[in-house]
Amino acid sequence: MAAAQVQPQHQELVKKLQTEREQLQILTKEFQKFVSTRQQFDAQLNENELVLSEFKRLKKNSEVYKLVGPVLVKQEVPEAISTVKKRITFIKGELERCDKNITDSEGKQTKCRETLIKVQQELQEKMQAQQPPATK
Amino acid sequence: MALDNVQAVDLAQLPVPQLNQLRSQFEEEQQMLTQSLSQLKGVQSRFVESQESVLKLSKKKVGKDILVPLTSSMYVPGQLADNEKVLIDIGTGYHVKMSVDDAKGYFERITEYITKKMEVVQKNLIEKDKLRQVTTEILQLKIQAQQQQQSAQQQ
Repeated sequence: MAAAQVQPQHQELVKKLQTEREQLQILTKEFQKFVSTRQQFDAQLNENELVLSEFKRLKKNSEVYKLVGPVLVKQEVPEAISTVKKRITFIKGELERCDKNITDSEGKQTKCRETLIKVQQELQEKMQAQQPPATK
Repeated sequence: MALDNVQAVDLAQLPVPQLNQLRSQFEEEQQMLTQSLSQLKGVQSRFVESQESVLKLSKKKVGKDILVPLTSSMYVPGQLADNEKVLIDIGTGYHVKMSVDDAKGYFERITEYITKKMEVVQKNLIEKDKLRQVTTEILQLKIQAQQQQQSAQQQ
């Protein structure tokens, strides 16, 4: 194949291609971060729900201790239950936020990929339009 | 979930490179699921061990000499103070004092819970394996068809 002449108007397209590729990489990394954060919250939610179900099974005079640093502090059962319930509500809210972030990120990635494909096609067409003498 | 509308695509309609990509995706997912499964098994065996420890401890008499670990390399001599109540770590920093029987019940429940989760993962794994096999078959058929087409064109 003859050396592809990169004309000035191609330079612009090539640069645009590069920018879109970098943008896609950033979006993909962001997406992976969102997914791993969501997994963490999911695990925390499970753990807290397990603890709550254990609390609900406790008999009236059970003793509950909370680990605060290196110290086990005695807690009242109703207080412990409400703390865990509040944590669960908070985590559920964070999970919803994460899910929204993930859907948004997916949409942005799809748009970016589409732009990338369009620019690539444009560039290919422009470069082919310059080469008919070689193929004839 | 987003996965549902993607799987409505007929596998036979997909071109070779996409089938290849799908197949590697399935293999990756299978690896992750297998890893999860072995992690769950590990956790479950730790709970079983804890349950056995509690039972063994409850059989010993109060006042029996014991060595208490203060750090991972230092033990201190002591005596068993109570063989009826135990402090169980139930997660998120909470510990509950319960009788040995309650502790046994707790461990049984947790082990049961993990077994159920492992069954779900196992089912997923089998499904992924089927999908992967089907994708591989279709891929091979398509590659064969392509090769036959190419050799027919060259004649």
